[in-house]
Amino acid sequence: MTTIVALSTPRGRGALAVIRLSGPDAIAIARHMSGVTDVEPRRATLTTLRRPKDESELDHVLLTCFNAPHSLTGEDVVEISCHGSPAIVRSIIDTTLELGAVLAGPGEFTLRALSNGKINLAQAEAIRDLIAAQTEAAVKQASRQLHGELSNALGPFKEKLLEVIVLLESALEFVEEEIPAPRANEIDHALAVVSDGVGSLARSYSAGRLLQEGVRVAVTGRPNVGKSSLFNSLVERERAIVTDIPGTTRDTLTEAIDLEGIPVILTDTAGLRETTDDIETLGIERTRRAMSDADLVLLVLDGSTGVGPGDRELLDQTENAHRLVIMNKSDLPGFKLPASCVEELRPITVSARTGDGLATLRAAILASVNGNGSDEGGLLITNARHYDLLCNTQREIEAAREALRERHTEELVLVPLHNALKFLGQITGETTTEDILSKIFATFCIGK
Amino acid sequence: MSFDETFDVVVIGAGHAGCEAASASARLGAETGLITLNLDLVGQMSCNPAIGGIAKGHLVREIDALGGIMGRVIDRTGIQFRLLNRSRGPAVQSPRAQADRMRYRAEMRRTLEATSNLHLRQGKVVDFVLDHGRLAGVILEDGRRFGADAVVVATGTFLNGLIHTGRRTYSGGRAGEPASIELSETLKRLGFPVGRLKTGTPPRLDGRTIDWSAFEPQRGDETPVPFSFSTDRIEQKQIQCYIGYTTQEVHDAIRGNLAESPLYSGKIKGIGPRYCPSIEDKVVKFSDKSRHQLFLEPEGHDTNEVYLNGFSTSLPAEMQQDLVRMIPGLEEARVIRPGYAIEYDFVDPRELGPDLQTARLPGLFHAGQINGTTGYEEAACQGLLAGINAALYTQRRDSLRLRREESYIGVLVEDLIKQGVDEPYRIFTSRAEYRLALRYDNADERLERYGRELGLVGDSDWDRFNSRQARLAKLRLALETVRLRRSDAQHAAVSALIGNDLGDSISLEQLAKRPKVTAELIMSLLPAELKPVAETDLNSVLADSLYAGYLDTQKAAIAKLYQHDALKIPRHTAFRGIAGLSNEIVERLDRAQPLTFGEARRLPGLTPGALSTLLAHLCAGQRAIS
Repeated sequence: MTTIVALSTPRGRGALAVIRLSGPDAIAIARHMSGVTDVEPRRATLTTLRRPKDESELDHVLLTCFNAPHSLTGEDVVEISCHGSPAIVRSIIDTTLELGAVLAGPGEFTLRALSNGKINLAQAEAIRDLIAAQTEAAVKQASRQLHGELSNALGPFKEKLLEVIVLLESALEFVEEEIPAPRANEIDHALAVVSDGVGSLARSYSAGRLLQEGVRVAVTGRPNVGKSSLFNSLVERERAIVTDIPGTTRDTLTEAIDLEGIPVILTDTAGLRETTDDIETLGIERTRRAMSDADLVLLVLDGSTGVGPGDRELLDQTENAHRLVIMNKSDLPGFKLPASCVEELRPITVSARTGDGLATLRAAILASVNGNGSDEGGLLITNARHYDLLCNTQREIEAAREALRERHTEELVLVPLHNALKFLGQITGETTTEDILSKIFATFCIGK
Repeated sequence: MSFDETFDVVVIGAGHAGCEAASASARLGAETGLITLNLDLVGQMSCNPAIGGIAKGHLVREIDALGGIMGRVIDRTGIQFRLLNRSRGPAVQSPRAQADRMRYRAEMRRTLEATSNLHLRQGKVVDFVLDHGRLAGVILEDGRRFGADAVVVATGTFLNGLIHTGRRTYSGGRAGEPASIELSETLKRLGFPVGRLKTGTPPRLDGRTIDWSAFEPQRGDETPVPFSFSTDRIEQKQIQCYIGYTTQEVHDAIRGNLAESPLYSGKIKGIGPRYCPSIEDKVVKFSDKSRHQLFLEPEGHDTNEVYLNGFSTSLPAEMQQDLVRMIPGLEEARVIRPGYAIEYDFVDPRELGPDLQTARLPGLFHAGQINGTTGYEEAACQGLLAGINAALYTQRRDSLRLRREESYIGVLVEDLIKQGVDEPYRIFTSRAEYRLALRYDNADERLERYGRELGLVGDSDWDRFNSRQARLAKLRLALETVRLRRSDAQHAAVSALIGNDLGDSISLEQLAKRPKVTAELIMSLLPAELKPVAETDLNSVLADSLYAGYLDTQKAAIAKLYQHDALKIPRHTAFRGIAGLSNEIVERLDRAQPLTFGEARRLPGLTPGALSTLLAHLCAGQRAIS
């Protein structure tokens, strides 16, 4: 029996969110993330969750454990009350997945409750309605997708996969017919195309999530390079205080903006420099955190003073981050952009004061997010279940290619291929044996 | 009620379904009447003279393991045996044999006549006897009335059969034999949904008029693989078949005369099987193919008749003669019997439960083409199941139901009763989700116990089964424990053979999974005290080991999918009393009377909501018991 996890409160922003784990490993996973070894059952415990892989802090939460069979599902259940930010929920659920939990299917908590006899006959009708409602929603979702982009994008890959299955099945079932023997290299080539396409869609998931939950962009740089001015220009109002005094911004400031329908959470930060000022030091600490949390860092340089040692340090620090380098103050007479600098940093030239270059910057922010997308016409995966299914599809197809390389016979190569088709079918709709047989008879002249 | 004769079970039709049904029913102790239109044509092969093939051979092995007779009869009358798919994995290999058509019939009749409690009767059943709505017997055309508590209908293409050659049509169950029209009316009157299907057969040629040198011979296997686990060796003298091809000239002639074909003139309404297309269909649908393969199959040792496999047609008889003569090697050939198409009635198999009993009329069982299937093997396995369950029904014993995870028969029955048919249904290995587990060579391991428990597997077969299982266990242990070590004499040679160092020590089981390692090599490495080891035993054990990993993951998946399947539904459960089930669902459950949650789950039309309500009810009931 697996341990399942799901967000039990509605998606989106709220004060609180409740994540529920159920199954034999639920309590072990909670222990692993909280470090609390003796969790008292049915008692809320305030604790900090961490990601064991890198000890990074996830959130302060209330943890409540329910031991089997005294729980909703009759299994060990853990409820995590965390802060209601999609980003926090996402990272907590991701961490439970890393620790062996799997995403719950629709109605799976209820089904487990049923199978463990946690629900009596009087409740049966209510549950039936509940499950029916979920199924209905699932049907609606499926049909939306069926006519939607994802299905269209997956269609050709599914078709190709089906063609390979048809070739191999025909070779097995109709040995006495004049069916051309499947060529291993052609099949491998077709499977490689499917695997690449599905894999590319799966890889768009991280970008897709950003689009759904908001792209976190931090504006950073040395003091007085014009971060707050740029921030104000992007949020299109005088949100941050702007002065000529370096170190004016002491705390981080966050504003949500909309870039062509994509939510961007923009954070203005304190300028980074060595300082003895206690308040400024705290602000700089927050800046560093904002930078590490950000999906995209805008590193602002002052084009009128040139790239100094402080800038160099920041450039080195953000070298591996997802970043854009911005050369501000293009309106000033001293603004210079040496060719060597263009060559090395490929900066975007703007003037926060006049608004020059802001359109280019907005486009660059969008492009850098979309750049993570798939090759399939910019289509992005936003649903964790789809992501899971695509990863499973790709894994099965690679297993089939491996079996082909090891010269396994058709019936063994077909096992992972049928699995792959089942996984894809969870997104695009099932392919039945009849569908496969129909395609065989349409492809080959069969029959004595 | 007065009857001329009284049986426990009456079987209508003595084709491949009817023979198995009657034999099984009689051997389970039920007095069984087998009624057929013509006693000389018991076990007749209406179409090609062959048994088995991919997946079909699996069915015959399963019939044999359960105690059926088809495997034994074909082993005694087969004249060319081939194990198909030898180059592929053991799960998709399957035996096939050409039959001597007349000897098959004679052997089947001999087998039936040697069975106690089995009574052959010639006649035509036209109606059922109902006693206050309960099935009580059958009425024959000649006025005789036979009493029976259970009836198996296995009428094949005879049910309202209509034969087509060109524009000519006539009523018939097979060329030269009358159809059974009244029985179809009876079924309709009882409210059964009746549909129409179609099949066809090619012309038969006079072998003396064929230029055999123009064809490529196709030999049987050096060592025939029999169908029955009880057969030690094949005694019949073995023959060759021949392969030839049609030509563009033949295709053009067919295309030019499509108006003469009832298939294309719109006369035939029934739907034919896609995997058995007529030559007209082949030429039209695959017009880019310049030739189609033909097989010349001799019909037996005592006849010159030759079956022209691949040339099924319903074109006018006189045209068939001309077309045949356009085929290279058949320039002088003479048609003995023309091919024809036949339409016949079938009853929607969704009327049936997993025991093949109709819900509409308890005691009535359907088997074979009446359920929309095609093929002798498909018919025989249904006949066996229906015959067993008819006898069990009269004896008030629990019915036999086979799961799709354990048998092709289970796959076939579940597909039929759950999905119905819209064209003649044929078995394929791809219909079995768990095909790696369903091998022809392990049918005994999967099913023989059921046959024994029923009483269909006799002592000598049971002893043979047990000693084989014991040998396999011993062999399995040897493969796990015997290791090839670096110090062994063969180590270097085997390493060189597979082009890879084997390491210091490797079990024979692991070694067998390496590429290029053959069963012969493993055989040579087995310890002397184990020998002689039968090749078939070693192959079975190696197949288990080859698929074990795949099967374990598959088993886990099955367990997850079907974790509640074993939950029993008490007999006479009042589904209407379960709050939350709609009238339609209650009717479906009442009709199907599922005995477990798994059976309910597979019923058509049961929504996830209804299933969870049922599951809650069953869980609550179980808890009340415990």
